[in-house]
Amino acid sequence: MLLTLFGVSFLVFAAFEIIPGDPAISKLGTDATPEMIAALREQMGLNRPFIVRYFDWLGDCIRGDFGRSYSYNRTVISMIGDKLPITVTMTIISMLLVIAVSIPVALLLAKYMGSTIDRAGYISNQILMAVPSFFLGILITYIFGLTLRFFTPGGYISYRQNFAGFIGYLLAPSVAIAIPKCAMSVKLLRSAILEEWNKDYVRTAYSRGNSTMQVMYRHVLKNALIPLITFWGMAVADMIAGSIVVEQVFNIPGLGRILLTSISNRDYPVVEAIILLIAVVVIVMNLIVDILYRCIDPRISK
Amino acid sequence: MLLEIKNLTIEFHDHDRPERVVEDVSFSLDKGEILGIVGESGSGKSMTALAVAGLLPRKKMEKSGEILFEEKNLLTLPRHDLRGLQGDEISVIFQEPMTALNPTMKIGKQVEEALLLHRHMTDEERKAKVMEWLEKVELDDSERVYEAYPHELSGGMRQRVMIAAAMVSDPQILIADEPTTALDVTVQSQIIKLLLKINKDSGVSILFISHDLSLIKQITHNVIVMQKGRIVEQGDTDEIFLHPKEEYTKKLISSIPSVDLRK
Repeated sequence: MLLTLFGVSFLVFAAFEIIPGDPAISKLGTDATPEMIAALREQMGLNRPFIVRYFDWLGDCIRGDFGRSYSYNRTVISMIGDKLPITVTMTIISMLLVIAVSIPVALLLAKYMGSTIDRAGYISNQILMAVPSFFLGILITYIFGLTLRFFTPGGYISYRQNFAGFIGYLLAPSVAIAIPKCAMSVKLLRSAILEEWNKDYVRTAYSRGNSTMQVMYRHVLKNALIPLITFWGMAVADMIAGSIVVEQVFNIPGLGRILLTSISNRDYPVVEAIILLIAVVVIVMNLIVDILYRCIDPRISK
Repeated sequence: MLLEIKNLTIEFHDHDRPERVVEDVSFSLDKGEILGIVGESGSGKSMTALAVAGLLPRKKMEKSGEILFEEKNLLTLPRHDLRGLQGDEISVIFQEPMTALNPTMKIGKQVEEALLLHRHMTDEERKAKVMEWLEKVELDDSERVYEAYPHELSGGMRQRVMIAAAMVSDPQILIADEPTTALDVTVQSQIIKLLLKINKDSGVSILFISHDLSLIKQITHNVIVMQKGRIVEQGDTDEIFLHPKEEYTKKLISSIPSVDLRK
């Protein structure tokens, strides 16, 4: 796990070494004289060898110091700490939506397998899966924001001002993020349920006098959720990364916003910290998935 | 008479041509009786058993005749009423104890399910009843088994759990569909002894489905011989084994490997 983090940190650091662009130039602007640039590079420590800078930076990171932003006079920690709650809240709302919607829908489709409901569900699923979140975001803004006026597009409310309003505003982008994941979950869960449905224990459950819904909820669902856990774990990491675009559509000053501006400003400390953060989320989600597996599937030895 | 089957016919409509898997089968089961149904695979014995258990799919299948239990025809009984009998008055144990139990549910929960569905009991009463049956099926260390998951038990133990789960509601009919086929021989004879003991102690009637004539001979009072969906011969087990009337029965009996063959 630490090895993964080490690898990611090295790749991120190396990537910005290779791609063109100089933070000193972007800070000073194109009018700067070569002397000014050289002086600033000296001051920023950019003219030391790559490996030295990398281990310097890594050592600071381990101590919890991610440096200061090149473009804003703030520490990286305080910048990310400000924005993180926004993206995390959005991801949590999306994930809750995915779970709360996909389970009953998949059960319904599985119950009416082969019927018109099932076929209609299949088609709408395929469509929703293929539509990217940002486009759904635009649609939602247009329909629910501009036409029906359920929320004010662009009227982001900070969580410091009004928490309920903040959640209310995040609802629309969360739905946009959740819909493709939800469609994917329904598809996976439906086929997992149908696969479980042919197992012998289903017949045993029927023989004890369970109704179809009781067999579904009491016996099949838990077994069918096992393959879904991996997908949901990946989905959470994906949502954090995917929120970057959706945040633009809904004008939300979250992690995505600072990531984009930092990349164009060559504000490396910020970009590196955010990418490391995403890597940590992926690794932590994998850990949580492993733990959940053990809880739900007793066959995995402890 | 506890259960009476009259002219049972079952047809599959899965393929282009309807396929008759059970044809004009009639028999009855008395209280406390162990009735065997014997036949090769495809003889319709399992289909007959599943029909009695109410476990045949409703679609793609046509059933005619009558299955009478307590003056109710199980074939036409509304689903809800049928569920009231399943697991309460009529229980089933299956061939594969490895897969017939839910892998993610603790044994205790699976054994108590029939009680949960059919009886109003407090949690303590239910647990006491489950423990009583785990002991009756001769599972050592029943406390541990109660908390265990199926994969932690051997095949023989799982089949004992299945029997406990089937018997926990004191049913009148126990349908045993090839209950020992998947087990090795020593375990097989233990399970047979257990079924005989349960039959004697609780008076439950057993419908014992098997392709194994020597098992049928050991355990049943009466026997039905089936071939290609029809009954070939039926009657008292000892009588049929001593004096089979039909050619097919004679052939079956002569195919039992016995000590005599080696002399």
